[in-house]
Amino acid sequence: MTLAPHEQLPDHDRPPDAKRAPKVRRARTTPPWWFALPALLLFAFVVLVPSVRGVYYAFTDWDGLDPDFSFIGLDNFSDILDDPDAMQAIWHTLLIAVSITVVQNAVGLLLALGVNSAIKSRNALRVFLFAPAVITPIVTAYLWRNLLGPDGAVNSLLGAAGLDGWQQDWLGSPQVALWSVIGVIVWQYAGYSMVIFLAGLQSVPKEIHEAAAIDGAGPVRRFWSVTRPLLAPALTINLMLSIIGGIKLFDQVYALTGGGPGHATDTLSTLIYKDAFTLGEFGYSIALAVVLTIIVAVVSTGQYLVLSRNERAVS
Amino acid sequence: MKTRTLPALIAAVTSVAVLAACSGGTRAGDSGGGSKTLTLASVDQGSVEDVVKAFEKANPGVKVRYTTSGADQYQQQIRTQLSSGTAPDVMSVWPGNGNPGATVVLAKPGYLRDLSDQSWAAKMPDAIKTVAQYEGKTYNAIFGQNGIGAVYNEQAMQKAGLTAPDTWTDLLAFCKAAKAKGTPAFALGNQDNWVTQLVLYALVATTVYGPDRDFDQQMQAGQATFAQSQWATALDKYVTMEKTGCFQKNPLGTNYEASQALAASGKTLGIIQGNWVIALLKGKNPKGTFTLKALPATDDPSQTLIPAAAGAGYGVNAKAKNKELALKFVNFVMSHEGMNLFVKKQGGLPSLPDTGYVADPSLAELSKFITSDRTVPFMDQLWPNAKVQQTMLSGLQEIFSGQSTPEKLLAEMDTDYKSGS
Repeated sequence: MTLAPHEQLPDHDRPPDAKRAPKVRRARTTPPWWFALPALLLFAFVVLVPSVRGVYYAFTDWDGLDPDFSFIGLDNFSDILDDPDAMQAIWHTLLIAVSITVVQNAVGLLLALGVNSAIKSRNALRVFLFAPAVITPIVTAYLWRNLLGPDGAVNSLLGAAGLDGWQQDWLGSPQVALWSVIGVIVWQYAGYSMVIFLAGLQSVPKEIHEAAAIDGAGPVRRFWSVTRPLLAPALTINLMLSIIGGIKLFDQVYALTGGGPGHATDTLSTLIYKDAFTLGEFGYSIALAVVLTIIVAVVSTGQYLVLSRNERAVS
Repeated sequence: MKTRTLPALIAAVTSVAVLAACSGGTRAGDSGGGSKTLTLASVDQGSVEDVVKAFEKANPGVKVRYTTSGADQYQQQIRTQLSSGTAPDVMSVWPGNGNPGATVVLAKPGYLRDLSDQSWAAKMPDAIKTVAQYEGKTYNAIFGQNGIGAVYNEQAMQKAGLTAPDTWTDLLAFCKAAKAKGTPAFALGNQDNWVTQLVLYALVATTVYGPDRDFDQQMQAGQATFAQSQWATALDKYVTMEKTGCFQKNPLGTNYEASQALAASGKTLGIIQGNWVIALLKGKNPKGTFTLKALPATDDPSQTLIPAAAGAGYGVNAKAKNKELALKFVNFVMSHEGMNLFVKKQGGLPSLPDTGYVADPSLAELSKFITSDRTVPFMDQLWPNAKVQQTMLSGLQEIFSGQSTPEKLLAEMDTDYKSGS
C-alpha cells in the first residue's frame, strides 16, 4: 500500500534508531501465514463465494423469480453491445467518473490550501466544508432535488440576482441534468477530498518551505516544487477514491433524477438496478454488473500503477 | 508449534462465531411469532392502517405485523422476498399483468395461493375478474377500483371563471384561457416517470377504445400494433396539449409531490391524475374542493371513456406461515366492512357492486361512468410483460425533452410487446 508521507521524508525530529527499530523486530518475527486465515475465510464466504456464484447468473436468462431458467452463454453480453441504453449508460458513467475526479479534487485541493493558510476561523471553516460529506447521500439528493426544481431556491436566487437567463430546468433538461448531478456530488464530496489533502499538506515540514523561501522561491514555485511532490500520496488516495466512487455512483443519481429524463442520466448502476428490479431481467443486469466490475478493476489498477510510479519518481 | 496453538484456536473460534452471527442475521428476516401473528406487506399507505386496526378488533388476540412502502420500492422488495422465502403471509398484488408485482407475474411461478374457493371470488364483476385471475383461477382479492381523469380545484376554477371542458376543442380553448389568466390548466409531475403515463391513458381510453373496445384482443392476436393504431393519435394529442400550454412550465423538472402542491394551492386549475390524488390534495389544502371529471379527447362527449380499473389488491403467499389467518384477513378486506373502510379512506370505489357504499361527490362522474360501462382497464394491465410500460415511461420523458418522437416510441413499444412474456 501507499506509504504515509512522513515515512518517505528524512525525519529530523526523531532519533535515527526510532525509525529502524520496528524494522528489526518485524524481520525477526514474521507472522505465520495462517494468521490471515480467519480474515481470508470470512472474506471468501461473505464476499468472494457469493460474488462468484452471482456471476454465474450473468450467463442465464433468470428473471429473479422463476426457479426454471436456462444457460444462455454469452447472449447477455452481446445484448449489452446492441443495447443503446447500456452503451449510453457506460458513457455517462465514464463521463461522471472523470468529471468528478477532476473537479472534486481541484476544488478539494483549493479548499485545503485555503483552510491550511493562516486565515481566521479556519477550524470552523474546515468543519463547515466537511459537513456535507457526512450527510447521507439520499438526504442531500432530496434536498437538491427541491433546490433544483423549476421553482426551487436555485432558480429563485438567480432570478433575484437578475440572472434570469441562467435559470434552467436543472434536473428536467437532458442537456443539463447530468451536470447538475455532477455538481451535487462535487458539492457533497469536495470537503472529503479537502480533508485528505489537508492531512497531506500538514505533513509537509515547515523547514523545507523555509529553506526554499530562503533560496528565493515564491509561493507558486514553492507549491509546485515542494508541496506538490510531497502531496503525491494524498493525491493518489483522492484520485482512487473519487474515480471508483464516480464509476459506482448510484444513490445520488437515483434519488435526484431516477436516471431520467428518459435515460439522460442513467449510469451503469442505475441501469443495473432498473433492469433487475423493475424489469426482472436479472441475468442481463448481472451481466451489466460484471461489465461494471471489470471497468472498475481496469481503471483503478491502471490509475494506481501510473500514480505509484509517479510517487516513486517524486520521492 | 505449541505456543501457536492457542492463538490459532482463538482465531478459529472467532471466525466460526462471526460466521454464525452472519448466518443468524439472515434468519432474523423471518416473521416468527405464534399462530396469532399475521405478517403483511402493503402499498396502501394511509388506509391499510385503519383496516388492520379494524381486523385486530374483530379478532381479539390477533396481531398483524405489517410494513407499508411506495409502489416502486415494494415491487422490488417483494420479488426478492418471494424468491428467498422471506415474503409475508399477505401482500399487495397488482391486477393483470405488465408490472413486476402483478397477479400473473407472481401466480405463474406458484408464489400465490389460489383464492377461487372464497365466497367473494364468484361475485366479482367481469371487468375486475379478468385481471384478478391467472388461467381461470382467482389469485387477487381486489377491493377497489380507481379512475384517471382531470381533477379540478373548484375554488381556482371559480376564481378563473372557467368551467370544465367536455370536448377536445373546448379543452384546448380552456387551456389557452387558463394560461392567459396566469394559472395553467393542469399540473404535471413528469419527473417521476410513472406520472408520465396518466394523461396518455386518459386520452387513449377515448381515442383507441372508443371506436374499438376489442383493441387488446387484436393486439394479443398480432392483428394490431401501437404504431398503426389510434395510439398515435392519442400520443399526438398529448404533445398538442403540451404545446398548447395545458401544463405548467418544466413538467420534467416537477415531481409528483410538487405537482400536487401546484394543484392544491390553485397555482394550476387542476391535475390529470388518478382519483387517489384527491385525498392527497385535501391533505395539502383541507379547505379545497376537488372534483374528478373525464378528460375529453374527441368533440363528441358521448364517446368519452374513462380509464378505470381494479386497483392493487391482496394475495396470499402460497407458503404463508399462517394460512388460516391470512385467508381470514383477505376475507375481511373483501367483506362490506373492510372494503368500504378501505375505499373510503383511499377515495376510490368498491370492486363489488352490493356493499352499500355511498361515493364521495367528487367521484360522482367516475361512479356514473363505471355503472354505465363507459370505462376501460388501465392499458398496461393486459400487456404481456413489464418492459412495454417501462419503455413507454422513459420514452414519454424523452419526447417531452425532445430526445425522441412519438413514432419512435410506439415502434419501440411494439417491439417490446412482441417479445412476449
